[in-house]
Amino acid sequence: MGGTEAARRGGLIGSISTTYHKILLNPSYKYLLLLLGAPVNLVVFLFYLVQRRKDDYTAAENRIRSAMLASGYLEALQAEIAQQQKRKHEFFKQKISEQQLQQEVERIAQARFKEELRDRTTKELLLNNKKRLTMADTFDRLIANPLFFIISLIPGLLMYILIFLYRSPYLKYIVERLAMTILVIFGVAVLVFTILYLSPFNPAANILGETATPEQIAAFNKMHGLDQGYLTQLWNNIKGIAYFDLGKSFSGNEDITNSIARKFPITLTLTVISLIIAIAIALPIGIISATRPNSFFDYTFMFVALIGLSIPNFWQGLILILNFSIKLQWLPATFNPENWLSIVMPVIVLGTGLTASVARMTRSSTLEVIHEDYMITARAKGLGKQTILMKHAVRNAIIPIITVIGLQFGGMMGGSAVTEKVFNISGIGSYIVDKQFIPDIPAIMGGVVYTAITISLVNVIIDILYAFFDPRIRSKMKQY
Amino acid sequence: MIKKLQSKQGTAHQLKSSPEYRQASFTWVISLTLSVILLLNSFDFAGGALKPWVFTAFAAYALFTIVQMIITLLIRRDLLRTGDIRRSTRLLGYIQLLSIITGNLFTVTFGFNLVKQQKPPEYTIAVYMLLTQLYVIAISALNLFKPYVSNTFLPAMFILVVVAILQLIALLLVAKFVTSHYAHPKLVWLALPIIVTAATGNIFALVLGINLLAKIRKNGNPAMTRWSDVWIKLTANSTAMAGLFFVIFLFCLSVCSVFTFDYSVAIDNNYSAILLPPSLEYPFGTDNFGRDLFSRIVFGARISLIVGFASTLIPVIIGGILGAISGYYGRQTDNIIMRLLDVLYAIPGILLAIAIIAAFGANTVNLILALSVGAIPTYARTMRANVMLVSTYEYVDAARAFGSSNFSIIFKHIVPNSLAPMIVKSTLTIGAAVISTSSLSYLGLGVEPHIPEWGNILKIGSTYLETNSYLAIYPGLAIIALVLSFNFLGDGLRDALDPKLD
Repeated sequence: MGGTEAARRGGLIGSISTTYHKILLNPSYKYLLLLLGAPVNLVVFLFYLVQRRKDDYTAAENRIRSAMLASGYLEALQAEIAQQQKRKHEFFKQKISEQQLQQEVERIAQARFKEELRDRTTKELLLNNKKRLTMADTFDRLIANPLFFIISLIPGLLMYILIFLYRSPYLKYIVERLAMTILVIFGVAVLVFTILYLSPFNPAANILGETATPEQIAAFNKMHGLDQGYLTQLWNNIKGIAYFDLGKSFSGNEDITNSIARKFPITLTLTVISLIIAIAIALPIGIISATRPNSFFDYTFMFVALIGLSIPNFWQGLILILNFSIKLQWLPATFNPENWLSIVMPVIVLGTGLTASVARMTRSSTLEVIHEDYMITARAKGLGKQTILMKHAVRNAIIPIITVIGLQFGGMMGGSAVTEKVFNISGIGSYIVDKQFIPDIPAIMGGVVYTAITISLVNVIIDILYAFFDPRIRSKMKQY
Repeated sequence: MIKKLQSKQGTAHQLKSSPEYRQASFTWVISLTLSVILLLNSFDFAGGALKPWVFTAFAAYALFTIVQMIITLLIRRDLLRTGDIRRSTRLLGYIQLLSIITGNLFTVTFGFNLVKQQKPPEYTIAVYMLLTQLYVIAISALNLFKPYVSNTFLPAMFILVVVAILQLIALLLVAKFVTSHYAHPKLVWLALPIIVTAATGNIFALVLGINLLAKIRKNGNPAMTRWSDVWIKLTANSTAMAGLFFVIFLFCLSVCSVFTFDYSVAIDNNYSAILLPPSLEYPFGTDNFGRDLFSRIVFGARISLIVGFASTLIPVIIGGILGAISGYYGRQTDNIIMRLLDVLYAIPGILLAIAIIAAFGANTVNLILALSVGAIPTYARTMRANVMLVSTYEYVDAARAFGSSNFSIIFKHIVPNSLAPMIVKSTLTIGAAVISTSSLSYLGLGVEPHIPEWGNILKIGSTYLETNSYLAIYPGLAIIALVLSFNFLGDGLRDALDPKLD
């Protein structure tokens, strides 16, 4: 095998040619590789065409062809086929001219001959332990020459980067995941913009009022680029998102990216704090419930968790305000960054749903794990209850829990719009809600897309962390 | 020591394997909680006065809770002594039947369960059917305290009472003539009129009728069908049945309210009755325009149910079809569909809904569409995973060998066999849809503000939080009750449909 030989030669070049072999076998990466290293691959292809003329396969093929022709195989084949065709036409009562018949026979005979020739040649090569030259083999031979490598380094840089990334399964996985995320984010931007573009509302009329003249509306549209075509506007918006410059908002004339940058950290801090607190509460509750299934504890906790899932955020916020701000006057009703007490209620409201779902998930996934055979083994080994629970049960149960946390993080970022409105927090959610009445297309788009980007990135990080922590996923990755 | 431990375990097992004992302990805990809540609410902490009506309710609840505790102890003693519940203990169940006057669903159903030793699912369904009807009648009867009622009130109430009597007869007949494997063939003549009574919105009646017909058809045939198996498991689960009861009760009430409630009380301004506190005439008080909050909540139920069901059904169908195609064909088809759905999945549901509503305006249809679009990917993923599993089964190969087309394989063989997780998932997410609906309405992005919808009612209530907090509390409780019911039902369905537990 060329590949293994190259690997035995070792070093950088060896691994490059091994990876090249591998990529060419992969149906989707093949085209990417050929495209990225087009100049280099063209040269390799030319070499391949030349070398192919005189490789073992061509030689064997020529030899066998002449042998077959000499033995009169083609004539026998033609006679046999002619017989068959005649019988067939007789049976179907078809009239056919002699010349047509001749052509038909010739065509079928050639095809059958080629097939037979290929079969015999492959067999022969197999017997002699030789193989047909492939493009990857040509590349092997060329790359073995350091000069070729150095010259091809500049035109084939992209290809070499691809080879480098493909070589390590982890890197490949991470890059694939990131590329997918970028595509998804691009899709999100297109989708949100298209929805807003299709809107029957007219922002100009909404902002300028009913008394606006057509000239004023036209000027407004021109200022914000609303008179341009769909694709131009889409491109400008996507560019704006990528460069963090979405221009001025329709009303108030404020810089959108600036406002979002000011409001985003508030939402994010709130989300992260409630996430941490929720996990800190939910994990122990879930584990305790799982270790005592169907006990009083379990029923109570799960009942409370179910209620937590069923409470609408805004209602919970209102009830908290009613009790703790209006009646007891312990906590301020509205959020104020300087007063840390004011963050307590929003965090509770935002974290309730997450706490409930994580506790439920922890319980069910720990319960599933607890009856596995390896738990009995661990007990049989004489391990302590704590060790079994922590090292064997929870570690194995944590994967689906992390998935739920990742998913819920997205829900929290979105759901924060309601909580922010209740507590009068000037975060990204209430910003989007405020802007939607106009509708302020770039502001809504910026808010939604940046939120989606944050969520996607968090999910990418979670996915990558999995790959490093879960040996099952790691070994699956290596099999590619 | 070991003997003691064994006997302790044996006791626990003996008690846990008795469904009556489990339900009894569950019931007294719930009943006690309700009593405590009523007790706390019967004191006006600011004024230091006692609210007589709430305190009476508390007393009634407390009484039945004490009876419940005694019954629980008796059942425990019976089980430990003889391993069976004695007849005299079962007769105590009739006392709990009386608790129907207090409206405590849990003690009533417990009473019905205790008095009958062998409980085929039809019996339990019939009990819930009757209870639903009685509750609807009771709620509708509250309109009698109003200065005027709608024109159709009296005939509608008359029909409801007749239906309830019919259903009571049905319950008695079912209790007498239906066992777990046999139903008297003449009950066909009962099943048909019972199905007709489902026109009042009482789905339990429909289920009972169908179950009876199915049972009569396979009399003497020991085979179990999936449908009856699911009902056996579901009726044994009291929380799931309570959830189902509340959903069907609200549905029935929504249907009946067309005739028994006066819509004008809920939407017309009445300046002589502004911001009144709860009273018999206005059970939940009135809002800032003098509209009856109770009627508004009753009329809001139908919006919540319609939006909840529609915004779950649409993504179940679209997502289900996409997921089925994706899972069946695999490869490129799968890749393209799932990558496109990933885009939808990356945007949080509420934000996507806000963006869609921002673009097309706030009304009920747009709200349903906006909530549906965001939920498509979740269902598509669930369906895809199931279809991928089911398409490896032999009967799919057999269908292919028969020469069935891909279309008929997918929709005749694969989809019906991968529906169970979809049903569970959709039940659990209807609750989420109900919450989203009211949240968006609260933000002014959902149902039109003039329609009495729970979120809209809460929006008004939130501005009177300091002075008239009941305006915000009752609609919120209604939302929680509905969502909680869907969640209980979903959990129960998952337990009933999960093949792993078989």
